[in-house]
Amino acid sequence: MDIRLLRPSDIPLIQHANLENLPENYFLKYYLYHALSWPQLSFVAVDVSRPPKTPYDYPKIVGYVLAKMEEDPADGVQHGHITSLSVMRTHRRLGIAEKLMRQSQLAMVETFGAHYVSLHVRVSNKAAIHLYRDTLGFKTEKTESKYYADGEDAYCMKLDLGFIREQLRAESDDEDEEKKAAE
Amino acid sequence: MPQTLSTREANLFRTVIRHYEDKQYKRGLKAAEQILKRNPKHGDTMSMKALILNAQGKTEEAFALAKEALTIDMKSYICWHVYGILYRTNKNFDEAIKAYRFALKLEPDSHQIQRDLAVLQVQMRDYQGYIQSRFVMLKARPQLRQNWTALAIAYHLDGNLEQAENILTTYEKSVTTKPLRSDLENSEALLYKNSIIAERGDIQRALEHLETDCKHCLDRLAVMELRARYLAQLGRKEEAAKAYRALLDRNSEHPDYYKGLIDALDIPADDEVSLKAVYDEYAAKNPRCDAARRLPLDFLSGDRFRTAAKAYLTLMFDKGVPSTFANLKHLYSDAFKKDYLPVLAEEYLGEHSGRSSAAGQANGDSSKGEGAALYFLAQHYNYYMSRDLSRAMEFVDKAIELDPQNVDFHMTKARIFKHHGDIAKAAEAMDHARSLDTKDRYINSKAAKYQLRNNENEKALATMGLFTRAETVGGPLVDLTDMQCIWFLTEDGEAWQRRGNLGLALKRYHTVFNIFDIWQEDQFDFHSFSLRKGQIRAYIDLLRWEDRLREHPFYFRAALDAVNLYLSMHDKPQNGANGAGDVLANGEDAAEKKKAAKKARKEAQKAEREAAEKAAKRDPNKAGAQKSKEGEETKKKDDDPDGAKLAATTDPLGDAMKFLWPLLQFSPKNVDGQIAGFEVFLRRNKYLLALRCLKAALAINQEHPRVLEQATRLRKVLANAQDSLAPKLKEVIQSELAGVPGE
Amino acid sequence: TSGDVEDEVQSTAKSAEDRKAAAALSKLDARGDDEAAPAREVDQEAVKNAMNALGGGADKKETKKVKVDAADVNLLVEELELPKAKATELLKAHDGDAVKAMRAYIQPDF
Repeated sequence: MDIRLLRPSDIPLIQHANLENLPENYFLKYYLYHALSWPQLSFVAVDVSRPPKTPYDYPKIVGYVLAKMEEDPADGVQHGHITSLSVMRTHRRLGIAEKLMRQSQLAMVETFGAHYVSLHVRVSNKAAIHLYRDTLGFKTEKTESKYYADGEDAYCMKLDLGFIREQLRAESDDEDEEKKAAE
Repeated sequence: MPQTLSTREANLFRTVIRHYEDKQYKRGLKAAEQILKRNPKHGDTMSMKALILNAQGKTEEAFALAKEALTIDMKSYICWHVYGILYRTNKNFDEAIKAYRFALKLEPDSHQIQRDLAVLQVQMRDYQGYIQSRFVMLKARPQLRQNWTALAIAYHLDGNLEQAENILTTYEKSVTTKPLRSDLENSEALLYKNSIIAERGDIQRALEHLETDCKHCLDRLAVMELRARYLAQLGRKEEAAKAYRALLDRNSEHPDYYKGLIDALDIPADDEVSLKAVYDEYAAKNPRCDAARRLPLDFLSGDRFRTAAKAYLTLMFDKGVPSTFANLKHLYSDAFKKDYLPVLAEEYLGEHSGRSSAAGQANGDSSKGEGAALYFLAQHYNYYMSRDLSRAMEFVDKAIELDPQNVDFHMTKARIFKHHGDIAKAAEAMDHARSLDTKDRYINSKAAKYQLRNNENEKALATMGLFTRAETVGGPLVDLTDMQCIWFLTEDGEAWQRRGNLGLALKRYHTVFNIFDIWQEDQFDFHSFSLRKGQIRAYIDLLRWEDRLREHPFYFRAALDAVNLYLSMHDKPQNGANGAGDVLANGEDAAEKKKAAKKARKEAQKAEREAAEKAAKRDPNKAGAQKSKEGEETKKKDDDPDGAKLAATTDPLGDAMKFLWPLLQFSPKNVDGQIAGFEVFLRRNKYLLALRCLKAALAINQEHPRVLEQATRLRKVLANAQDSLAPKLKEVIQSELAGVPGE
Repeated sequence: TSGDVEDEVQSTAKSAEDRKAAAALSKLDARGDDEAAPAREVDQEAVKNAMNALGGGADKKETKKVKVDAADVNLLVEELELPKAKATELLKAHDGDAVKAMRAYIQPDF
């Protein structure tokens, strides 16, 4: 397993993973739209242990996070949004989803100055809610009724990214001090 | 003769254009009609009307009207521009370019036409033309940065890196105000320039540029990765090591970083102790890190492997990680590791089994560990390199006994049945696994796939329908097609083919082909979008990938299926069309087949209908949704839903070509494509092209039995055809055949 | 155009998720946006000089003058199934020698 940035050439297999795992599906172009608007924000987990079958094998995607910046934030605050996150059933319990999310959150702050990140999750999806709330620290903002096509409600969740901004500030202070010491 | 409009109508004309741009087609049409009532021969208005009709899907009507408009007003750039757009949207790009050029001749200063032309040029990879267009556009608006970037991109794509860099630098120098640190366009442009410097091979300068100009670029990860790479390339190992350590602190699950660090530290490949120490450091730092614990298993040997593997397996089993086997099976190329991993799993079992009830109270759920170990062993004996299916079954049954509701265990049981060759039982077992977690689409997809392997197309579609969007008109198949679900379409086609329903099989393969056309077309909007967004490196990546789009295994599989099916249709004509002789010789059989095909087709239609009905039932709003669509443009109706027309072809080999060319062009190193190509070309008496496939196949695998058989066959055919060959052709064949085996 | 398909999706999309995707895609081909893009102050004089230095855009690539036999072009079109322009190009690249051109074309190029 390898966690790295998404590349356009990964997209057919990301779309494949999405279609295999989740009921919310998108045209390939929608993935492209993410990859070409915010190429720093989306990450994949790749199964690197598959012996190649042909010279044209593509890395097998076992998990991905597809993320974006909100284009016209209603509250006027720069923030990121998770469009889709999924890990193959066969590759659970390795913490892949969490690791993908953390990479994306960091880039949201660094590259786009995001203040928080938001997402929607099915109210029945216990495993995902556990990850967002307990592991990553998201808070439930509100419930959106009948958000999904089959009529299920969604929790709208948010995570303040202030802690990452703090962390980055501390790092750059350290660097400055290092430089001063070197002078 | 062009007619001039009154002021009121001229205003109306502008609203037509606005409505069109806002996709308000009905309003646009109404306004156009108003103008045409008074000026029935106003070419520009007729053209705009044609454009709207085209957008509504009335292609033929649109073309007819646009042509009429052109004959009335040959000198109107609008008419020519519209004509080009019509060709463009109907994918006749060459004609579109010609029309745009005409329009541009009549109106050289039109920014819009120039831009439309430029976009087409880059879409068609006419880089010389693109350079010229972007040059004109830059000249018109040099104050826009994206015009400079675009010209640099044009040179870059054309291979002129020096000029590309030069243009970016020129812009930078002419800017009088310093860009802000938060200026994303600036940040990305600098990194784009940096990538060009590196691509020119001047790593020293790329590093300097990165450390000075790109120091504050907003894409921190890119800056860090590039810096580490440049330092390594320049042999500045100490700094490279530090840079890779910084990357590992960010993401310790990326194997490349470990490799970079180890190279920079100059650790010899056989110094297992030092290598392991590098990984151990990160394993200690990151308690939840997988890579640092797993990767050493690749290079460790003997006792060191034993110790590390034991620690890793114990950890994974204790956690109950289901992918443990999948993450280790690549080690099986090493016989020692292949034999030792199951020993470890058995050991673990010996220590943990039977104690689950006692220990379970103290330790939470320790049957998890036992189940994971049993599951590992079941997969081990199911894997082709270590296969013993009865042992596999033994272990999976034990696992199921332990945890009867475990989806993963039942899934593996289905796989074992499949490897036994019992497809029906496999499908049944997979469906049972599905029933254990009906909210999970992954297991649902697997159940459908196994049903298809068992030739149960109708059942599989119904299974898929449990997760497709209920409101899609036309049911699950339409939704899966819309959502570009290639795996299903391909498997469905293959199952229909096994069932002898050539029409539906061909239909699915053509659908996959069309999806690739859509994916190629998808890049179109990004030629201007990416300039606006300023994410240039990602855009270049996109173009490079689109250039080789059809090398994807998704394309290869469906296309090869199609070519092989067409070959068999040529060899054994099925019905009437070109198979009269066949019917006579084998009348009963053919009639039987025809009947079976008809029956299968009916069944398929029924299944689709039922699935659609079922979907409609689940969603009471659907009927309403359909009604509200009234008046909106509806999707073009499929006039050959079950592929009867495709199957009735009189030229299967000709039809195969559309699938075959991309196979040969984009996956030349795949021997199966070359083999299929040979068969098609030989039947079409294209000896040189058959020889070309054969030579390629030999270059891939000299000993492939099919290829050797083909070589013998080609020699035989050519010996008989000698006299009919053109002299130059004969000359080529004689000299080229000399290097081919089978004499 | 692709926009229309999205239009349609938008009108029938049921979930908020689908509407969001459709809306984003329908805006991809927006026209005229680049005219509104912020222009930064540039030194007009410097730009003018730079533009002059660039010359006329694309540099013309020198093409060799090779005479090509029409019968050979036809032979290549027939046997290799190349478009006429490509066949001519291939012949020119091999000094108009059809045998050489065909032999080169059928070699594995990987």
